[in-house]
Amino acid sequence: MNKYREIAKIYMKAQLVWRADVIFNMVFTIAKIIFAYLIWSIIFEAKSRVGEFTFFGMMSYYIVNSFLSQLEMSPRISNEINQRIRNGTFSKYMIVPVNVEGYFAAMEAGIVLFYFIFDLIAAAVWILIFRIQFVFTRDLLTIVCAVLMILIGLVFMVQLNFFLGLLTLKYQGIGTFLMIKDNLVSLVTGSIIPLALFPELVVRIMKFLPFYYVTYLPSMLLTGYNQSEALYGVGIILIWAIAMQGIIKLTWKQYIRKYDGVGI
Amino acid sequence: MAQKWRKMTNIVETKDITKIYKRYKKKDGLKGSIAGLWKREYEEKAAVRQMNLTIEEGEFIGLIGPNGAGKTTLIKMLTGIIAPTSGEINVLGFYPNDMKNAYKKQYAVVMGQKSQLFFELTVNDTLRLFKEIYEIKEEEFQKNKAYFSRLFEVEELMNVQVRTLSLGERMKMELIVALLHNPKILFLDEPTIGLDAIASKQIRKFLREVNEERGTTILLTSHYMEDIKALCDRSVVINHGLLIYDGKTKDLFDKYQLSKRITAVFDHPVAELKLKKDGVDVILEGEYKKIYNVQKDMTKAVLAEIMQYEPDDISIEEEEIGAVVERIYREGSAVYE
Repeated sequence: MNKYREIAKIYMKAQLVWRADVIFNMVFTIAKIIFAYLIWSIIFEAKSRVGEFTFFGMMSYYIVNSFLSQLEMSPRISNEINQRIRNGTFSKYMIVPVNVEGYFAAMEAGIVLFYFIFDLIAAAVWILIFRIQFVFTRDLLTIVCAVLMILIGLVFMVQLNFFLGLLTLKYQGIGTFLMIKDNLVSLVTGSIIPLALFPELVVRIMKFLPFYYVTYLPSMLLTGYNQSEALYGVGIILIWAIAMQGIIKLTWKQYIRKYDGVGI
Repeated sequence: MAQKWRKMTNIVETKDITKIYKRYKKKDGLKGSIAGLWKREYEEKAAVRQMNLTIEEGEFIGLIGPNGAGKTTLIKMLTGIIAPTSGEINVLGFYPNDMKNAYKKQYAVVMGQKSQLFFELTVNDTLRLFKEIYEIKEEEFQKNKAYFSRLFEVEELMNVQVRTLSLGERMKMELIVALLHNPKILFLDEPTIGLDAIASKQIRKFLREVNEERGTTILLTSHYMEDIKALCDRSVVINHGLLIYDGKTKDLFDKYQLSKRITAVFDHPVAELKLKKDGVDVILEGEYKKIYNVQKDMTKAVLAEIMQYEPDDISIEEEEIGAVVERIYREGSAVYE
């Protein structure tokens, strides 16, 4: 276990080197909140509720959701694997005595932990500045389920991106897979528009997909909505994570022998 | 096939290993690119062909061959990065491509153009990571770190950001990272590529000491004859994926390295040199710079003649590796028994 903790630590240390990145990430968080504040202020000028949301309910949802979305940085995993397989340097991970998937998960954990702290500060500061009456659930079971869902959801996204990266071994180019995944994630995680505003049939279909449980449902749960879905949600995302692990195991076994290490 | 040098344990054994790569053969032009969307033609290329190789514990072996000969492919198979298409491999009792951690802990590989260092951090940061990855005890870690940083003369660079190091310094650091867990075998693929003469010489000195003091078995590929001559008692030459020589390095150079290249630079104009010797090929005959290919046994005499013209600088280079390999291949020397 120590080796994975050290991998997480070294990537956290690497983030600290790039100070401008940290600042821009905080600015980006702030910009998103300002933008959301302006948009929803205009929309809520004419009416007091949109769907089941009040203005502050909507803002609270938006802050939690964008905070969680920013913690989801796993696309770098598929990009890194894709690039390294194509240029022949993926062997860097194959020659050291670690589980390669574990290496990427630890790498992601190190980076996410680092940004977690800074994004949390940025979000808190802006809640105070805009005097947003932050809506947050007080139900302990809901909070526990939401936290579990976030953790399993982040693990699932690491697994998914690791899997997509491995597809490079067979298809060389995985741009189309990544594009489909990104669009699906944006839509289903509610980062474009809250899913509560979609027709019920569409939401029902989306509920079978894992992305619904990565940032959208936890955001809703933490801001006091959809509490009846809490336990069910943990179960669904857990099933997806277990299934994805099986798929990764098979893919690794079948495709890793295709690696030829040619490139630079 | 391979020689028994000493009565020691074989730690590498390959039997008839072959590696065939399949590659896409695209037709010319845009039309060819479009046609490739529907139907693709592939060709097979054998990078290594039915190779038998045995390496004993503690050996320092030079793996020689021109570009595309199959050297790197062989190292990739021995380290498990790729699987052979056919044949058997046994390294330290493992089939490398099983990629077992127990095997990975016993070898190290340094490839000249592939780095394990974190460029934005210091070497100490990377070493700390590798200490945990290889589960090295703190005491042994400190001892090895001190030993190698002293040996490579880089004690003062351990806390410097890697990206600010020179190429030579970086290569020393790569070697320290690789050697930290006391590997039984060290695979080196072009470790001196791009380095200047001084850095290359230092690296050679360190590798010699690691082999002699620590008993680490080393398999080295290099384009530079100096590397092989200075370090390896035994050389294996491969060309087009075939093993064409396996024997003493000294014998290889005595028999197949027939000429040397002499470059003389003058600070005053010198007309055509009237060299009396046969066996001298003129490569360049400028007023200020002259280059000759000289038969090995004539080198001394030709040098003596050139010295009479008072050159400002003079250098003697070994015949390049490609020419030697080509000669062995042409003469069909096969494997030394």
